[in-house]
Amino acid sequence: MSLVAEAFVTQLAAAEPWPENAALYQQLKEEQILLSDNASSLAVQAFLQMCNLPIRVVCRANAEYMSPSGKVPFIHVGNQVVSELGPIVQFVKAKGHSLSDGLDEVQKAEMKAYMELVNNMLLTAELYLQWCDDVTVEEITHPRYGSPYPWPLNRILSYQKQWEVRRKMKAIGWAGKTLEQVLEDVDQCCQALSQRLGTQPYFFNKQPTELDALVFGHLFTILTTQLTTDELSEKVKNYSNLTAFCRRIEQQYFEGHDKDSATTVAARSAKRSLLR
Amino acid sequence: MAAPMELSCWGGDWGLPSLHPESLTVMAYAKFSGAPLTVNTIHNSWRAPKGDVPVLISEDIVISQPAKILNFLRRQKYNADYELSAKQGADTLAYIALLEEKLLPALLHTFWVEAENYCSVTKPWFASRIAFPLSLYLPGKMSREALNRILLTRGGPPLYSLTEVEAQIYRDAKECLNLLSKRLGTSQFFFGDTPTTLDAFVFGFLAPIYKVCFPRVQLQEHLKQLPNLCRFCDDILTCYFRLTLSGHSPAGQDIADANLQKLTQLVNKESNLIEKIRLSLFLCRWTTTFVRVLSIPLES
Repeated sequence: MSLVAEAFVTQLAAAEPWPENAALYQQLKEEQILLSDNASSLAVQAFLQMCNLPIRVVCRANAEYMSPSGKVPFIHVGNQVVSELGPIVQFVKAKGHSLSDGLDEVQKAEMKAYMELVNNMLLTAELYLQWCDDVTVEEITHPRYGSPYPWPLNRILSYQKQWEVRRKMKAIGWAGKTLEQVLEDVDQCCQALSQRLGTQPYFFNKQPTELDALVFGHLFTILTTQLTTDELSEKVKNYSNLTAFCRRIEQQYFEGHDKDSATTVAARSAKRSLLR
Repeated sequence: MAAPMELSCWGGDWGLPSLHPESLTVMAYAKFSGAPLTVNTIHNSWRAPKGDVPVLISEDIVISQPAKILNFLRRQKYNADYELSAKQGADTLAYIALLEEKLLPALLHTFWVEAENYCSVTKPWFASRIAFPLSLYLPGKMSREALNRILLTRGGPPLYSLTEVEAQIYRDAKECLNLLSKRLGTSQFFFGDTPTTLDAFVFGFLAPIYKVCFPRVQLQEHLKQLPNLCRFCDDILTCYFRLTLSGHSPAGQDIADANLQKLTQLVNKESNLIEKIRLSLFLCRWTTTFVRVLSIPLES
């Protein structure tokens, strides 16, 4: 968006308070949504919970196509539609709610750097695992991705998406990596996050920020989604402070809410519970 | 005694040991950690640069990406991060991810995609350092790969045209430079007084933007407004690469730089021309010999 258009949207956003009927759109939870999309969606839900902004989750099979950027999740607030965590954080900030106001400049730089680390390593690894690892693709991704559509559309859509993701992996140099190397990168990333978190309750000690929401979204999804192998979740489980962090955020922001909350349904559909 | 290590990478100009960000990162890390590397710059020989440059060759081991090369050096006990705490090590990874996501697209665009920059500076420079037939093909391939990478990683909706993508990536790059400047503050290096891996990566990405004279320089102008980052690059160049800064005034320096750049481009274009003439003469001679050889049976 050009600077002028961005300023215009920000002006519009600031004018109205947060409505009661704000909705977050994602793919169908039980049959369709994939690991990476679930992680992104959970991150946005956690962020909005941390800001105390009510949101209801709506599942649609064509959420990806409705989204303005082609990525889920997106939120529909008033008469605006915003997708992906970065723009949503800015949109919420324009409305007057922010989690990172109390940070100084150096801390803000660190927070942005760590968010890029999660996007660069964890999200890319999730995409690699679900679209470039042949076993996972055959057993999980292809059946799930096109499940709301009839044959042959389901196969066409999933092959098309796979081709797109593989092109991107090739451009950034991940196509030549083996699964072991990708898991090693995940381990390195988790080690960095664990070392940064240390013994603090949140990444920037006193209050949660969008970084905490993002890390929670990805780690919780990795820990509670059943894939063909357990290797990915084992990498995360090696770091006890990260699992404790996920549990803490789940208990504080998601339990005790309405039955349709993301984590309870995710836990039900994922055949594994975090608290075992 | 460790086996001798050879690094094959792109050469330098405009006061830099190398123009290529990844090669520069590896060279800087080797200087910081004291690793004895023999640097072979790629220079117009028939040994074509295979695939990814920089390449480290040690005995029979061939390693190609900067992260892997740095890991190898660390395993050989050349470790510049020895004194870092666990949290600082984690910060290193995070800031490197920030550089790759936010700054690298704009860097690639400035070098390889921006038409004026590419045609007048990048292409002649690289073409003059690659042997003749490849010099017609390889720079174009590198340019296409850079554009591909930018469009695939940053070019999705709602940005539909290349100009919108360009505007976005330069905005992100400027924000990234501001963040780095805030993080560096007034200290000499990112983690105290000794340079580490993060300093090598930041130097590798910033120095080409800072020093190379392009016609379109919006990123360089932004960088020059952040004096601590400029001082950071200059310090590393003088202390670790023993390249002296000239004492000219800024205006005089700019003119001298512009003249040097024009001269370099002229030399590069001439050397390309000479190669083409040489090859055409060789082909002519070969054709005449061939015709003569064929006509011998006819005459007899």
